[in-house]
Amino acid sequence: MDIGIERTPEHGRPVPFRAAGGGLALLVLLGVSAWIYQLTQGLIATGMRDVVSWGLYIFTFAFFVGLSAGGLIMASGAEVFGVKALRPLARIGVLTAAVSVAIAAMTIIPDLGRPERIYNLLLHPRWSSPLIWDVIIIICYFVFAVVDLWVLAGRRPSSQKAKILRVLAYVGLPMAVLLHSITAWIFGLQISRPWWNTALMAPLFVTSAILSGTALVALVALGAHRFDRLHVPEETWRAVCGLMAAAIAVDLFLVGSDYITLLWGNVPRERAALDLILPGGSWQWLFWLEWVVGGLVPFVLLVVPRFRSRLSLVAVASVLVLVGVYAFRIELVVGGMIKPLLHLPPGIAIGTYKITQTSFQFTGMYHPTWVEYSIVAGLMALLALLVTLGYRWLRGLPAEASG
Amino acid sequence: MATNEKQYAMVIDQNLCIGCWTCAVGCKEINNEPLGFWWNRILTAAPADTTGESSSAVADPASDNIDVPHGTFPDVEMAYLPVACQHCEDAPCVKVCPVGATFRRDDGTVLVDYERCIGCRYCIAACPYGIRVFNWGDAQLEPDFTVGYGREYRTDGRLVFTPDRPRGVVEKCTFCVERIDVGEEPFCVTVCPVGARIFGDLNDPNSEVSELVEEQGATQMLSDLGTRPRVFYIPVNEPRKTRE
Repeated sequence: MDIGIERTPEHGRPVPFRAAGGGLALLVLLGVSAWIYQLTQGLIATGMRDVVSWGLYIFTFAFFVGLSAGGLIMASGAEVFGVKALRPLARIGVLTAAVSVAIAAMTIIPDLGRPERIYNLLLHPRWSSPLIWDVIIIICYFVFAVVDLWVLAGRRPSSQKAKILRVLAYVGLPMAVLLHSITAWIFGLQISRPWWNTALMAPLFVTSAILSGTALVALVALGAHRFDRLHVPEETWRAVCGLMAAAIAVDLFLVGSDYITLLWGNVPRERAALDLILPGGSWQWLFWLEWVVGGLVPFVLLVVPRFRSRLSLVAVASVLVLVGVYAFRIELVVGGMIKPLLHLPPGIAIGTYKITQTSFQFTGMYHPTWVEYSIVAGLMALLALLVTLGYRWLRGLPAEASG
Repeated sequence: MATNEKQYAMVIDQNLCIGCWTCAVGCKEINNEPLGFWWNRILTAAPADTTGESSSAVADPASDNIDVPHGTFPDVEMAYLPVACQHCEDAPCVKVCPVGATFRRDDGTVLVDYERCIGCRYCIAACPYGIRVFNWGDAQLEPDFTVGYGREYRTDGRLVFTPDRPRGVVEKCTFCVERIDVGEEPFCVTVCPVGARIFGDLNDPNSEVSELVEEQGATQMLSDLGTRPRVFYIPVNEPRKTRE
């Protein structure tokens, strides 16, 4: 059994670890500085206000949680469903899962008005809150991913290792489904937001997580292939492409059924958000990003054999998939908040005041500030940096060709 | 509903409301609400908005601006809908708060503990009535001094009102907890120039609120959501039969 990282010595480039690592570290530093600035000012430094009261941090949180699916798909998919072609990417997969879920947890912190009171989550948990369930599953999932990685990387007789990995795979799969479902229920259970309040939310989150998680693993593997001569068998690429294409199809199917349900029902308060997102609405760019740029285009790239066989196009498709999934997260959060259920003039008080400007918003507005962009850029850089360092650590381990 | 406990409720008569915002400004005054904060707002609505069982079938607004009636002259209609915290019996904000900072007292008052809130704003996302306000930055006051009640107020040791707003926590209407605990009415009830607001104990069958709710068909906003608000509305065109 080969679950290690094997390199082909013939082609590839020297490893630009230092330059890339330095650049990423600078971005992390920028994010940290922006967060310190935000701590001195309060969340007034962001573009969020009382109508659209969740923004870039929450889109990004939901996005990072989704990215963590990749590992379980590679590791558990190989074991539970017998997709052997995915096995070579198991280590990278579990690595991205552990890193993504840790960064997702970190992303919540700048969103909190009182981050220093976060211990209240442990001291005074209220069990009816989906947020508490999410805290628990995130911690469990992270611990699980670290254990899984430790087993994958450890030196054990291969038969014993295979047995442990098999057990882990059967635990990990339901855990991953729960992680994405609970994150979806943070939104999906809310009766105050018709746009969120659909039973499709959990299946949608699971699907888009499989989609974006696989795309991230594919990108890491492609990077390693190009810069570090990582050998990835042809059949593995085929499996990855097939998985992403299927996930795009299921994802758009679920989103499409939701659209049809809302449009046919034609209940004004339920259609309010959709009308903003459909072509002609003021947020229609989200529709195009989700359906065309991150949907149709990568789907074609991943199913047409002539395109799929070119790794550069697989890389393009993976990036587009990530863009599409991120657009879905924006669409979800902003769409749910921009037109409040009680949509009557003068609207909602925004909680801040500037002389000569109204302190009410009838329809919500949201323009993220440089602080939010910097913090999110820092978090993304930290994810890339940790994955890179983790990969380097995995690479240093024996390739495990036994068995 | 607990039996021995007082169960506070408010009834707002839309037939009487003249949309003057005195209750909203009075609320700002007694609670020292910073600029940009409105715990209490007076929305312009169509008269049908709060009538009957399907009260949540909120009609499209006539305009983005207040005081614009629905319909075409001379067939126009309009109703004012004063909205602050509805003090729901099954409050979505209480259910989602991960740390129990938002809680419901036995008398039905929904309050926020300023010292426990972590500022995640899940309650703002969960509230169907859009009544919660977050302290985004440091409180701005104009003129720059404290007005109103002026002291901290605690219930069961929990800080549920403070004139000096801590940054990064959520706040909202408290039913003027510091006043009702000493037998006074919420300040919006006191200052309303037309007597459109009535406050009292639902557990007392002889109270005016009980009579208005039981016999005059006062309705709850977005009642189909099942939040069971403790703020009731007497819709326009259903004038109260008795008063005094």
